[in-house]
Amino acid sequence: MQLNTSLGAALAAATCGLLGALPAAPARADEASPWQFDTALLYWGEGDGRVQDLSVTAAVRRALDEDRSFSLAATVDTLTGASPSGAVPSAGVQTFTRPSGKGSYQIAAGDAPLDDSFKDTRVALSAAWRQSLGDSMRWEAGASASHEYDYQHLGVNARLERDFNLRNTTVQLGAAYGKEDLKPVGGAPIGLAAMLGTGDARNKLGSESKDVFDVLLGVTQVLTRRSVLEVAYSYGKSDGYLTDPYKLLSVVDPVSGAPVAGPAGSGRNLYRFEKRPDSRTKQSLYAEWRHAFDRDSFALSYRLMDDDWGVRSNTVDARYRWNRTANDYIEPHLRWYQQGAADFYRTALFSNAALPAFASADARLADSDAYTVGLKYGRRLSSGEFSMRLEYYRQTAKASPGAAVGALAGYDLVPPLSAVLVQFGYKFSL
Amino acid sequence: MASPCELLCETADAALARRLADFASAEALRIEHKFSRYRDDGVVQAMLAARGRPFEADEETSRLLDFGAALWSLSEGRFDLTSGVLRHAWRFGSSAATGAPAPAPEPRQLAALLARIGWQRVRWQRPMLLLPEGMEIDFGGIGKEYAVDRVADWCAQQSGAPVLVNFGGDLRCVGALPAGGCWRVGIESVQQSGTAARHVELRSGALATSGDARRHVEIDGRRVGHLLDARTGWPAPGTPRSVTVAAATCSQAGSYSTLAMLQGERAEAFLEAEGVRYWCLR
Repeated sequence: MQLNTSLGAALAAATCGLLGALPAAPARADEASPWQFDTALLYWGEGDGRVQDLSVTAAVRRALDEDRSFSLAATVDTLTGASPSGAVPSAGVQTFTRPSGKGSYQIAAGDAPLDDSFKDTRVALSAAWRQSLGDSMRWEAGASASHEYDYQHLGVNARLERDFNLRNTTVQLGAAYGKEDLKPVGGAPIGLAAMLGTGDARNKLGSESKDVFDVLLGVTQVLTRRSVLEVAYSYGKSDGYLTDPYKLLSVVDPVSGAPVAGPAGSGRNLYRFEKRPDSRTKQSLYAEWRHAFDRDSFALSYRLMDDDWGVRSNTVDARYRWNRTANDYIEPHLRWYQQGAADFYRTALFSNAALPAFASADARLADSDAYTVGLKYGRRLSSGEFSMRLEYYRQTAKASPGAAVGALAGYDLVPPLSAVLVQFGYKFSL
Repeated sequence: MASPCELLCETADAALARRLADFASAEALRIEHKFSRYRDDGVVQAMLAARGRPFEADEETSRLLDFGAALWSLSEGRFDLTSGVLRHAWRFGSSAATGAPAPAPEPRQLAALLARIGWQRVRWQRPMLLLPEGMEIDFGGIGKEYAVDRVADWCAQQSGAPVLVNFGGDLRCVGALPAGGCWRVGIESVQQSGTAARHVELRSGALATSGDARRHVEIDGRRVGHLLDARTGWPAPGTPRSVTVAAATCSQAGSYSTLAMLQGERAEAFLEAEGVRYWCLR
């Protein structure tokens, strides 16, 4: 605050004489903080007592000067609730051995088998360093780690960006490598082995791991004063244990659809642990068009993903940002997703058929459609920027062809999933 | 203005943007033309040509002389419109251009020049100026900030669009806030020219910087800034490398930063006492 000192008053008077008048507004200038914080609280809740996830993220970015900055981010999330085990409903009560092998749970007749063993806390950390190389090049390198009681991830990534054509074109090249270690509760099941009774661990092995490698090549092009187009190709390869150790397949009679008996002495129906190939190659093509109107703006994107498991997906995402005033905005969001089933997706296995090399009843590998409808509200405050997001997600998936035999025809073999997402965000600098 | 000048305007109205830019460039050139000491047809040369006889100043020149007189009095003689002759003793160059240290001024030469300085010896009674022969008027210390204010005031009258007028780092914003919520202004690092040591978010008013980043000499390995105390002919001891001040107008901001530099070691104390927002780099 400017004090009314005698020098200040005399200077103001002299300036008034020089310019004829003084502006009514005093100066407002504040030093930009080199510390920027971005915090978010996110809730994801699936219907029918399924997964609930609450996560807190805090990220901080420190600019060292115009050309160099580093950032750190931490996320803690807790997951509770049940998720589909992959088994199908049956006319009788079904008993499953828990993944730990130390207990069992029962699913009532006609109900979709959900495994409620999941209670997990995940901690994830990441750090990145960003630096300019002259006027038209930037690089960034980062590392990430996350920890859950049955899963660890360590990763490194790097990206190089270069501007061309008076900064109207930017080319980026990125690469990431991650190593993941799984120590499933009770050990990683042997692929396609039958579920055994409580305390019998002959179908389990120890821990497993996988390596994930991704590269990305992208081009961002300014089309007009108001439009930007971004196109990116990415290639990803995963090797190692790619199976979900907690997913099962029911083995049913090919005519009645009823469960068949499991191994002698297990006291279980026949359920087999899933098994996926030990390598996966993904390619994706992404395009995003951003356009600014006088007041508002929108972004429209499309992604085509294809992998060697036979999964091909299409995603269309659209956001429109309505700048209500200079200080707040409303942003509707629509997303549509469609994917084809993996070659080895089976809703259930038939007892008369030879065991396939790979099989999974995970709905995430089924032929499915999903949409998201959301609304975000953001408001700039004197201290920072606050945002609130509410989204509704719905996914429907199809059973594998010919799976609905006999009694199974009466059940919803791959029940739809509905979820609500609520997010609060606050960005500020100190 | 001997430095890069720019006008930033956020508007979808191309005609308005062109009109503002045209005015800014015409006005900057007009003021430079009229008040530069390097031009034969300007006011400064006309005053010299009066050779000790009364000179009748026009309205605009009178206002600048009044302002300079006020700064002389507020700075207790440290700032003086007649101190421009000191350039004959000091050879300030661009730090990048001159690798070799410049020599310290010759004491006898400095004493001779000091005899030609002193606003108290000038008789100024609007519109008549009586400048003793051998003395010169130099508007260099206030002209650029004046030009920024003139252009900014004019732009504010033309539209409410967000405009930033930046003449070589002395700048002022008018109109609505830009889309980003503020104008982000870098304060040039004194260690590394062309990079920003700090960033200031300007929402209203002006910022002016005095510093030795571009003009200084080195004496015995010590940098000596170009802002000279008119009473001694030397920079004040302990001058900061750069002082940036925020004020409602660029003329006020520039005056504060100049006066602070002339306080030398006491620059920060002076600015604190005045209660202005400032950034000092040492």
